[in-house]
Amino acid sequence: MGSHHRDDCAENGGDDNGHLAKRPRSASCPISAAEIAEEFAHHDPSVARINNGSFGSCPASVLASQLRWQRLFLRQPDEFYFHRLQPALLRSRILVKEVINAADLDEVSLVDNATTAAAIVLQHASWAFSEGGFRKGDAVVMLHYAYGAVKKSIHAYVARAGGHIIEVPLPFPVSSNEEIVQEFRKALELGKANGRRVRLAVIDHVTSMPSVVIPVKELTRICREEGVDQVFVDAAHAIGSVEVDVQDIGADFYTSNLHKWFFCPPSVAFLYTKKCSASSRLHHPVVSHEYGNGLPLESAWIGTRDYSSQLVVPSVMDFIGRFEGGIEGIRKRNHEKVVEMGKMLADAWRTFLGSPSEMCCSMIMVGLPGCLGISSEKDALKLRSLLRKEFKVEVPIHYQLPKDGEIVEKDRSSTVTGYARISHQVYNVEGDYHKLRDAVHKLVNDGFNCTMLPS
Amino acid sequence: MDAPRDDHRLSENGNGNGCGEADGRLSKRPRPHPAPISAAEIVEEFSHNDPAVARVNNGSFGCCPASVLAAQLRWQRLFLRQPDEFYFSSLQPSLTRSRSLVLELINAAHLDEVSLVDNATTAAAIIFQHVAWSFIEGAFNPGDAVVMLHYAYGAVKQSIHAYVARAGGHVVEVPLPFPLSSPDEVVAEFRRTLGLCRAGGRRVRLAVIDHITSMPCVVIPVKELTRICREEGVDQVFVDGAHSIGNVEVDVQDIGADFYTSNLHKWLFCPPSVAFLHTRGSPAATPSLHHPVVSHEYGNGLPLESGWIGNRDYTPQLVVPAVVEFVERFEGGLEGIRRRNHEKVVEMGKMLAESWGTLLGCPPEMSCSMIMVGLPGCLGISSETDAMKLRALLRDEFKIEVPIHYQSPPKDGEAAGATDESGATVTGYARISHQVYNVEDDYCRLRDAVHKLVRDGFSCIQSTEEGIQHSSKREAAIGFQSRFPKHGGCGKFERPLGPGNGPIWPKTGLSWVRWMAHATTWSHIKRWHRLRLSLPGGLGDGTIGN
Repeated sequence: MGSHHRDDCAENGGDDNGHLAKRPRSASCPISAAEIAEEFAHHDPSVARINNGSFGSCPASVLASQLRWQRLFLRQPDEFYFHRLQPALLRSRILVKEVINAADLDEVSLVDNATTAAAIVLQHASWAFSEGGFRKGDAVVMLHYAYGAVKKSIHAYVARAGGHIIEVPLPFPVSSNEEIVQEFRKALELGKANGRRVRLAVIDHVTSMPSVVIPVKELTRICREEGVDQVFVDAAHAIGSVEVDVQDIGADFYTSNLHKWFFCPPSVAFLYTKKCSASSRLHHPVVSHEYGNGLPLESAWIGTRDYSSQLVVPSVMDFIGRFEGGIEGIRKRNHEKVVEMGKMLADAWRTFLGSPSEMCCSMIMVGLPGCLGISSEKDALKLRSLLRKEFKVEVPIHYQLPKDGEIVEKDRSSTVTGYARISHQVYNVEGDYHKLRDAVHKLVNDGFNCTMLPS
Repeated sequence: MDAPRDDHRLSENGNGNGCGEADGRLSKRPRPHPAPISAAEIVEEFSHNDPAVARVNNGSFGCCPASVLAAQLRWQRLFLRQPDEFYFSSLQPSLTRSRSLVLELINAAHLDEVSLVDNATTAAAIIFQHVAWSFIEGAFNPGDAVVMLHYAYGAVKQSIHAYVARAGGHVVEVPLPFPLSSPDEVVAEFRRTLGLCRAGGRRVRLAVIDHITSMPCVVIPVKELTRICREEGVDQVFVDGAHSIGNVEVDVQDIGADFYTSNLHKWLFCPPSVAFLHTRGSPAATPSLHHPVVSHEYGNGLPLESGWIGNRDYTPQLVVPAVVEFVERFEGGLEGIRRRNHEKVVEMGKMLAESWGTLLGCPPEMSCSMIMVGLPGCLGISSETDAMKLRALLRDEFKIEVPIHYQSPPKDGEAAGATDESGATVTGYARISHQVYNVEDDYCRLRDAVHKLVRDGFSCIQSTEEGIQHSSKREAAIGFQSRFPKHGGCGKFERPLGPGNGPIWPKTGLSWVRWMAHATTWSHIKRWHRLRLSLPGGLGDGTIGN
């Protein structure tokens, strides 16, 4: 009842209080398969889209809401700027605050994407090195499987300003959280060697490639024990994919994209900054007249732009509320299904999963037959293109350098060096995974090898 | 010759890889069109603008015609349909095509010099972050100067403070008179300031020069100032041309600055938002210029870095071909649009000044598609807050959108300021604009609105006192959340109706006071936020916090 009132708000710009129902609204009639297909009718129907992780997805009802906001701006932009924009951003932030269980609204900022959030946090660290708050040579720790852009950002801001970067090597395939925890502890020891301080730990909640769920709560706790100044959790994939409780995790900074697994249009992310002295000195790199008014306000105006993707969170809550169990239900079913499909593929290809099911979320890594001969990242990319063009299957491929002398089990003929990162989102059907299964079978049967691909 | 739009249709159908065969070159002359766009077609193109509003503020947020919006929607749908395909096959070639068209529009020498960013504010951050690193890494010495104009855009001033001052640079402002009577006044002040720096032994590392200042709005002789900078040994020149493209002629080679930025969504019909940043010479010349949002393209040159800053909606940057198509429907193309806008805004400005007995803020040759028109002194604009409130009043009561500039009166001992025909000091100026969708009636409405306010004895001073009284009571009475009214959308208060159901006029003070509370809501919200940050215990003035 009243599930569309938030849509109306887009036009009227008003709302009562934007409070999120504490429990997902138990819909008397949850959204049907046909309605879901309708909501995602703008997807290319001929493509088996099992890469929700890269670019996410956005249902038609949310897109419609976004269009209304865009038209509202175009109609009278000054009116929009002076009267509608900030209240609407506030409403979105309030909803996000509730979803992630932040303690204070001031801790929640909306930014373009996790890449931007990383730049904000790392620029802050950079100033600390440059201004002497951190000593040159103090360490910043990151995971080996940190996202490429984040690694570059750490280099561009931290290394350039004199920080020492330490990478935590991570095993893959991985079989338990313990393996990760061990490596992390070792890296912290290294960070503290020679009287150094570890100023910042950058920890993924869900790594991108290869994709595994990292025990961030435990790692954050270890950071506190070991005297790490601050913890930044890069959870680009997290929200809508795993449970996110920022107070429970306890990090200083936490970011996640809302357009990946939370049905927002491109692009919007939140950056959570735990209330403490350091967080008030965070700044958005694009400086506007809001400079110095706190990150939430700074981020809410970075010059004239289309902010509509940040305004549709109420519509997204409406959409999610149509599913049984709300976002929790969606997450649970995505996880169960992707594990089921992952096992089906691993069995069919006679390979294996890259991690145990409890270390994955709505994505899972499935080993590809070694005979495909994926021997570099370039091969992985080319195979991905081939699957896209020839088979209309969209799935990212990860190249895994095997350890010296190690033959990975299960695939008897040759070493598994490639993994498909399959995903499951509400619009997926089993046929998508059968398409992938059969495509790989065909390649294997045809004696395909990556060396055959044009360079 | 294949037109850019054909390539665009290829990409719509998803045929090929969307990059098309044509090189997307802009015809050197505007293509002769069978019949230039008609008035009715223009109305159609801007039918999404609120028809009830006299929109004479194109400068703040620009405008975008329906055909370009339609092109943008096609791009958005293409991405949503198969985003990976879009990312791998369509995005970069389409960005390159837009950049090529911009290169031609601004007469840049090489494609490498042209980057697309969100807006001029972002471009400024890029430049100033670069300067900050120079100070931090010792290429510049602490105390070396960065010069900017007094009327530089507020966000740019903050950015200089946030990056340059913070890193040890010394910030110098060039005082500028207003009203102005000739570009020589600007040149003289600029020379004087550079001379002072030289005399003080300060090395000037960067000069930040507006091509068209925002408030008050005048066209600055950037080519001459850039030349002076070279003579005076200023290291680099950054021209903030936020308003320029589509408004004045932009020839970056002729102007000769090191960095030049302009928004394409203000006067070049792009949707929000997109700007170009021109950097003279190849990326090799300025290797340390980086986009602050670092992605995997880091180190590959600013154009490529800016071409991917994480997953986002890049469609505003992709519609330049559709914009070129739109512009070419006008007689004389972009040049014709500029010329007519300028002539019309000067004509309307003179009409208003004459009608109100005031003056123009600068000679016509120092204006562009915008001009400053003095407001009658009796309106009593005595602060920036007053100017904002008057603007809100014009918007809410008269449905006129026009920014108002507050010009502080001369201090004792200074030369007398501009006066209106009654002898009152002119302290407020309306920045009127003209874009293709405007009609004369827009300006007549503004003229009449101001006349009415004058006749009714309206004054900002009197209203401010009442407004402040009333708003304090409101603040004490309500909590934060319910600042957002429950019905009719944000900002729509119930208005008391007078006889005949019309609004009660300012003389009684009643409805004006309500509008005052409404007009100050946002500034109060901001103040409230700032105070909350600094006073954990709350405001202590009766305001109920969140």
